Amino acid sequence: MGSGVWGIALAAVEVIAAVAAATGLVAILDPIAPIAGLSVIYLLAVVLIAVRRGQAAALAAAALGVTTMNFVFIEPRYQLAIADRGNVVALAVFLVAGLVVGRLAATARDRAAEAERRARQAAAREREAGMLAGAASAVLATERLDAQLASLAASVESSSGSAVRVGLSSAPAAVAGEIAVPLPTDTRPGWVYGDPDASLDRESLERIARPLAGLIDIAVERERFGTRTAEAEAARRADVAKTALLHAISHDLRSPLTAIATAAAGLRPRDLPEDDRAALLATIDTEAGRLAGLVDDLLDLSRIEAGAVNPRTDWCDVGDVVAGALASVRRRYEERPIELDLGGPLPLVEADAAQLERVFSNLIDNALKFSPSDAPVRVSATAAGDRVVVRVTDRGRGIAPSRRASVFEPFGRGDESGKGSGLGLAICRGFVEANGGEIQLQSNSGRGSTFAVSFPAAAQPSPVP
Amino acid sequence: VTESGPRVLVVDDEPQIVRGLRVVLRDAGYGVEAAASKQEALDAVAARAPDAIVLDLVLPDGSGVDVCVELRRWTELPIVVLSAVGDEHEKVRALDAGADDYITKPFGTDELLARLRAVLRRVGEDGNDAGVTVGQLFIDLAARTVTLDGAEVHLTPIEFGLLRVLARHQGKLVTQRQLLREVWGRGYETETHYLRVHVAHIRSKIEPEPSQPRYLITESGVGYRLVEAP
Repeated sequence: MGSGVWGIALAAVEVIAAVAAATGLVAILDPIAPIAGLSVIYLLAVVLIAVRRGQAAALAAAALGVTTMNFVFIEPRYQLAIADRGNVVALAVFLVAGLVVGRLAATARDRAAEAERRARQAAAREREAGMLAGAASAVLATERLDAQLASLAASVESSSGSAVRVGLSSAPAAVAGEIAVPLPTDTRPGWVYGDPDASLDRESLERIARPLAGLIDIAVERERFGTRTAEAEAARRADVAKTALLHAISHDLRSPLTAIATAAAGLRPRDLPEDDRAALLATIDTEAGRLAGLVDDLLDLSRIEAGAVNPRTDWCDVGDVVAGALASVRRRYEERPIELDLGGPLPLVEADAAQLERVFSNLIDNALKFSPSDAPVRVSATAAGDRVVVRVTDRGRGIAPSRRASVFEPFGRGDESGKGSGLGLAICRGFVEANGGEIQLQSNSGRGSTFAVSFPAAAQPSPVP
Repeated sequence: VTESGPRVLVVDDEPQIVRGLRVVLRDAGYGVEAAASKQEALDAVAARAPDAIVLDLVLPDGSGVDVCVELRRWTELPIVVLSAVGDEHEKVRALDAGADDYITKPFGTDELLARLRAVLRRVGEDGNDAGVTVGQLFIDLAARTVTLDGAEVHLTPIEFGLLRVLARHQGKLVTQRQLLREVWGRGYETETHYLRVHVAHIRSKIEPEPSQPRYLITESGVGYRLVEAP
């Protein structure tokens, strides 16, 4: 469909060519048939032009056809005069027929074009609807707003084949060559950017801008809602932890304090027998140690919960660290049997040795606390595949299945004995995970528990001179 | 106040702790002075140097690490640092800045007195290159030999080098950096895996039960000490 001067010129050429062709054909048939009958051939040319070029061109073709017929074939020939009256009527009929046929053909042509345009538009709408449905599910599939916007654009791109970008900003931020179409959003101002030459042109982008804006509003709302929910959940958890902490303080801090205060009062009499005096001093010593341990645990836990563990990683000989932990626990449990199995040299692991030692001494301490006093606690370290695994096994009563999930939570005790602060395993998990390791519980009710701590040992340092 | 024994400067801003330490240290035969801040500590040492310092890492006007750095500019007097759980990084910084040992709060007084004895003994024995005895182990620094229960132990030059540094500071904590620098030289201070490997080798030769060492003790993440474990 040409346009402007070129279109008109092209149409004129076609009109002249059609009339010339008709004239040629009539000239061949002229000796055989009367001119009134042959005018149908000119009519065909008019129809052809009407179909190809529309009504105006058809009118021109009819006029040119009449003139040519008159000039070439009607007596007197080669003059624009008509001798026979019958021929005047024939030409007039031809002209009217040409106009009517031309108009009909042009209308049919316009209708066909319109139908084709509608079909194309319907197909485009259908494609856009599918695209938007895909975009909607992309928004619902992810949680984070920027991920949602990215998948929105990706979904539009994969269904339309043209690259688009969605950005939230008050002023458009198009890069070179992009067109920017504003999105009529309610929550935050945004723009959709596209390539002007792609199949999704400005018009299509403008059409999908409103539904896209609706989706973006949903995404923004969802993010706001998610943030509020997460904050509420965090606040709730913090509340639970604080309540549990207050509970622990009221019990676990008060009992050693009471013992110390009582022992101090007991030391007042001057004539106290020496062994009573020694016993009271030992009580103060032990209970002060318990208090200190609890305060250290609370401090560690608060660092873990605040994400401030900051391990100083170093090459660690896990066997050496386990030995250190064992030595510190033995000072507190001199009489208790502990089996140590370090099966040969282990690969080094990258971790904070002081934090690892705290993990192992906590686990060994726990194991002793929850085992009968004559049952040995077993500590082993082995290399398994690319990992170094330390296992601490007790012969206690095991942990009931219902409690296994919560033993690593602060105050999530493995039983109801009330032994320990309930913080040790939470601290262990915090330190292990901060150092890139894993901690797992394997427990059999009635037959004791094993805590397995493992660290990756795939990377090893350069050889040692 | 009689001041026959060694004089110890206690640097801590907690009056209760200072009071407790004063009693404990006097009882053990030490003369005691106290300073409550970084500045007081530096002034006290400048006025009259004590024989040893017990230094809290958290002071109202700064860190005990700064005190170590300042003092090490001009004096080698022994420093024992008091640290709490959570102070680990400061503790290692203090040791690397020249502190001789540390003790974690809350501490038993026996432990504190043992550390003080160890750092003071080192000063007394400086220049004594004859040999060091730890339990059944004898390290002859002059002859460069080691015997365990009278039988000679064969160590590689690097193993002996490590053991010699630890023996010279017998009972005292030697940091990883210091060991690496003294045995391998400058530039090797962070190659801690050298220590892991060689310490394991030394233990297999001198320890009755290498997996549960009695003599060559690891302070996880800090360093090593040569001591007869209780």
